[in-house]
Amino acid sequence: MFLEIESLTMQFGGIYALKEVSLAVEQGEIHGLIGPNGSGKTTTFNVVSGYYKPTSGSIRFEGAGITGLPAHKITAAGFARTFQNLRLFSSMTVLDNVLVGMGHHAKTGLWREILNPAAVRREESRFVGDAIHLLELFGIAGLADHPATGLSYGEQRRVEIARALATKPKILLLDEPAAGLNEVESDELRGTLKSIRDSGVTILLIEHDMKLVMGVCDVITVLDYGRKIAEGPCESVSGDPVVIEAYLGKEDEP
Amino acid sequence: MDDRTVTDQATRKRFGAKTALLGAAGCVLLLFPLVAPNAYQVHIINTAGIYILISLGLNIAMGFAGQYNLAMGPLWGVGAYTAALLNTRLGIPLWLNLPASMVAAGLVGGIVGLPSMKVRSHYLAIVTIGLGEVINIVLVNAQGLTGGPDGISRIRMPTLFGFPLDSDKRYYYVILLAVVVGFLFARRILRHRVGRSFRAIRDDYQAAKAMGVNTAYYQILAFVVSAVYAGAAGALYAHLDTYISPDIFDFNSSLFILTMTLVGGMGSLVGSIVGALALPILQEYLRVIKNWQLVGYGVAIMVVVLFVPGGTMELVRRFRSSRLAGRLWARNPASGKVRVGETDVP
Repeated sequence: MFLEIESLTMQFGGIYALKEVSLAVEQGEIHGLIGPNGSGKTTTFNVVSGYYKPTSGSIRFEGAGITGLPAHKITAAGFARTFQNLRLFSSMTVLDNVLVGMGHHAKTGLWREILNPAAVRREESRFVGDAIHLLELFGIAGLADHPATGLSYGEQRRVEIARALATKPKILLLDEPAAGLNEVESDELRGTLKSIRDSGVTILLIEHDMKLVMGVCDVITVLDYGRKIAEGPCESVSGDPVVIEAYLGKEDEP
Repeated sequence: MDDRTVTDQATRKRFGAKTALLGAAGCVLLLFPLVAPNAYQVHIINTAGIYILISLGLNIAMGFAGQYNLAMGPLWGVGAYTAALLNTRLGIPLWLNLPASMVAAGLVGGIVGLPSMKVRSHYLAIVTIGLGEVINIVLVNAQGLTGGPDGISRIRMPTLFGFPLDSDKRYYYVILLAVVVGFLFARRILRHRVGRSFRAIRDDYQAAKAMGVNTAYYQILAFVVSAVYAGAAGALYAHLDTYISPDIFDFNSSLFILTMTLVGGMGSLVGSIVGALALPILQEYLRVIKNWQLVGYGVAIMVVVLFVPGGTMELVRRFRSSRLAGRLWARNPASGKVRVGETDVP
């Protein structure tokens, strides 16, 4: 199994943000993670990507245990993520934002920078080339030298995904990438997600835009109050009475 | 003439102007001790040079990596005491005790940086103030080693191949070399990956982690590098004044260094040079107001933080992009055109 989350529990004081959630993501799929607000979706991301240490449970990636590793090691293992609220590096240009993502593939550190500047320059120009190429794929290469925070919301979203892909991940965790996008941008995003998947990157997607979710996801997992309530292909999940109840409430409630 | 040739010409012109400016600055710097009216003025500049080194260090940690190191004064003291002890007890000259001072201060700096794993921003500032005080208290109370409040005197100035560098005018060149090396070193390490990782941590700590930046490593590195600068400055200072005592390296000195770096410009290496030249010189000529100087620092910090967070360098940038500068530049048709080209994209 590619990514295997087993009976994951995350407790904050007396509150269970996640309770015994198990989840399996196959390589090459787009796996949707949906649920009402506060159901534990982002918490799942934060635990998987190393921001929180889970209270109990285990996470295995390509057969190796990664539970509780620090975030940068999780990234090194092949994870990348975006954030629900845009978190671009505000003092940097678009290009530098993407270059930060490439940093952990660099062989150069402080010492090489001093002792072998030529090697650093070579590596840097290769990274810049790769970064520009990545920005071209997202249609924002022309903005490379602009301050990242001066861009439109949709453009910033694209920079954030490009930056995440710069770490060359095996699996990409996207936290509401369509939030704040208009209809057209949202349609573009659907194409983008599919082409990312086709390039060999597995995607775990949190999203409230059901049209997008139903349009791209191969499998959907539904959370409610920190528990998994449903899982399966789009059609079966969208017709599941338990899921409908979680979103809309019970039909015959007095 | 199409835009491209105009741009090329302007670039060449600007490059030529830059070279000329650098050359002129180099000449002034090299000739300064020879034309300075008296040795005391050279002494003030020497002291300013030492502050430039410390301020560069603080700027790397605070301006670039966002790590508030307010123990810079005491760390400067660690460097000074290491050099002074090696020199007076074991007769080791500056050239050898300077690297030792950098290592010693760097190690202590790494320890001062450990709380950055748990606390951030102003909380970190407070913890580092406390740790700086601890260092200072050790300097005062470890009398057997440090000489206590009396400090250490009779530190010998260095010689170079038998040529004594025993006056301010001669020692000036040692400090000039150190400042140039320190500046170029800082520029180099900040240019690529290390600098980007620092800025990523400062801009958004959580996002930096997600991008694979080993935040713990770079935070400690920022503290170590800043302390290494302070350590080098300490060794140079010990040999400049030939007498050191703990009260030089107290919290007030950290505050002084913070003020000059803020006034010069956080996040700008040139800003550190501007601030560290301006404040010690001002301090020298404002001796009459004595303790009111502290009030001055306080006011300066507030004004900068509230109105020009980027310090003097931000004022320079603002001026450059202002209408007035545009009009001045426009007199030169070539570069005037370039300005339009630069700004016509939103």
